[in-house]
Amino acid sequence: MQRLYVHPLPVRIWHMINAAGFVVMLFTGTQIRYVGLIDLMSFGTAVSVHNWTGMILIGNYFIWLLFYLFTDKIRVYHPELSPTKHFRNSFRQMQYYGYGIFKGSPNPHQVSAFDKFNPMQSMMYQVVMFLLMPLLAVTGVLLWNVQGFYGAVLFFGGVRVVDTVHVLLYIFFAFFITFHVYMGALGHTTTAHYKAMFVTGYEESDEVHGREDGPKP
Amino acid sequence: MRPPAIFESNESEILLREPLTGFRRVNTMIIETFRKNLALAVLAAIFVLSPLTFKSAAGAVDSLSDADKLCLGCHGYEGMTKELTDGKKLSLHIKGEAFAESVHGAMGCASCHAAIDLKTHPQKTQIIADSRKYSVAMTKVCAGCHAEAVKQNETSVHAAPLPGGRLLAPVCTDCHGSHAIRSKTAYNTCAGCHQAVMNNHEKWLPNAGLHLGVVSCAACHAPMALRMVDLRLYDSTTKTWVVEKQDPPQFEKMARAADKDGNGLDAVELRKLMALINRDPAAPQKSLRGRIELRTDIEAHELTGKAKAIKDCAKCHQQGAEPFQNVTVSIVSADGKPLRYKAQNEVLGSVLSGDSLREFYAVGGTRNGLLDILLVLAVLGGLSVPIGHQILKRIIMNELKRNAQTRAPAAPEDQGRA
Repeated sequence: MQRLYVHPLPVRIWHMINAAGFVVMLFTGTQIRYVGLIDLMSFGTAVSVHNWTGMILIGNYFIWLLFYLFTDKIRVYHPELSPTKHFRNSFRQMQYYGYGIFKGSPNPHQVSAFDKFNPMQSMMYQVVMFLLMPLLAVTGVLLWNVQGFYGAVLFFGGVRVVDTVHVLLYIFFAFFITFHVYMGALGHTTTAHYKAMFVTGYEESDEVHGREDGPKP
Repeated sequence: MRPPAIFESNESEILLREPLTGFRRVNTMIIETFRKNLALAVLAAIFVLSPLTFKSAAGAVDSLSDADKLCLGCHGYEGMTKELTDGKKLSLHIKGEAFAESVHGAMGCASCHAAIDLKTHPQKTQIIADSRKYSVAMTKVCAGCHAEAVKQNETSVHAAPLPGGRLLAPVCTDCHGSHAIRSKTAYNTCAGCHQAVMNNHEKWLPNAGLHLGVVSCAACHAPMALRMVDLRLYDSTTKTWVVEKQDPPQFEKMARAADKDGNGLDAVELRKLMALINRDPAAPQKSLRGRIELRTDIEAHELTGKAKAIKDCAKCHQQGAEPFQNVTVSIVSADGKPLRYKAQNEVLGSVLSGDSLREFYAVGGTRNGLLDILLVLAVLGGLSVPIGHQILKRIIMNELKRNAQTRAPAAPEDQGRA
């Protein structure tokens, strides 16, 4: 087992703020939408906390973006452009999670500093970080000040369209947060990935030498 | 040519020096008479021509009764004033055109000024001490027809300072005007005095600008009143409310035709109505802009102070909230009043009205039920991953154990026996 430093400090800090922020956003967002069904806090408080935390998360997003744009670690977000390769590797990964993991088989994807996401993770995170989160942020900002941004609101189809997109993304993340937290428990030990992402930055790798250039063919 | 020099020679004659012909005697009486006649002619011209200064091209004043025109014969003069005992001047000028076009135009001057007797007016002058006291006293007349509104107003925050002698407290005419009264909604009225309203609301109300544009002041400041949503036709190209210009009016007919079962426009019927209204692709497309208003205008008079105004967001921002139970679709008529047609409340949140109603949404209050179902599915889906995966783990581990046991050699004691 080799320990590889795959989560640099800025990434760990970004992830921690994001995690805490998303939990707050989900709770406050649910309170805003479902007054009468839940009563965690007043509507006004929920809106206030939601707005402030949202702004923090937008700032946080830029920390993530600037880190990856200005370092070579951006390679972890490079998409797999060959569909056959991507499909084959994803299928292998699904087989591992659905069966191989219970047998004690090795993970087909070996983590390294420049290749830390397995094929399914890779696609998911690209979609989340480059599409879903920007959409969530933009729709959120428009809803924060509807009248101030009314031109943009109308451009996107009116306030009902903007809000529906925001709510659909909320629904996705309500699914994603449970899925994502659970998948984090599927490391060598239950707490391996949590320790790596929140504390040390080091993941354990089965390979004696970490593969720098992608999974085994 | 030099002008003739005038030499005063005696009272009735003057000498005019004229070039070439020398002096000439001219009778001053003629000049005096001429000057007098000229002055009279000018006055007469002003007298005769002055009605034209307040007669509109459309001749609105023509629609007034003869009695009213008689009043305007004097009160139509811009400079007409009355001196009050405090030395100030009260303008008695009435803009006839504005009155003719107002909602009271048909009723005439005497309906409010019944105290005026033409036998003694204007010879018998009324002594008015103070312009404000006079205005406040005149508003007693309003109760003659508008008893309910006046009654609502009596307990309002506006009327409260009056008994204490604070005459600057708003009375009927301060919001509605005195002679040019037209259909006035609270949107246009309040900000005239309450200029800091935006700053005050921004301190605590999220999306304050949007709220002030969409929610009528009385909707929160007349807490005892019942509210409704009015979806009004709007022209986003000219940025104005659509006005019913057709004669005979078309909107109500179209709405009635679209409402097949006569129980108010549902989402599909509303879509059909909007398609009909926007049938000409070359014409500016009209949209619907929603506003929260009171169900009856009269209740807008029972205004309370800030302390009692609605501040609880949950009043609107929850499913089943009272304002969203009554919905109408409307167009502004030529005289400024809205012409409404009933709609069903489902139009506010329905997917099927997504295209026809793009610009009205109250977070939580007009939410779509399908998205709630989707959320439940998403949360259950999220939970099913760990639960399902763990179940799968149990199944597969059991299967693997069973396979390992069937493949394993026989136990040592059995072998010993063999």
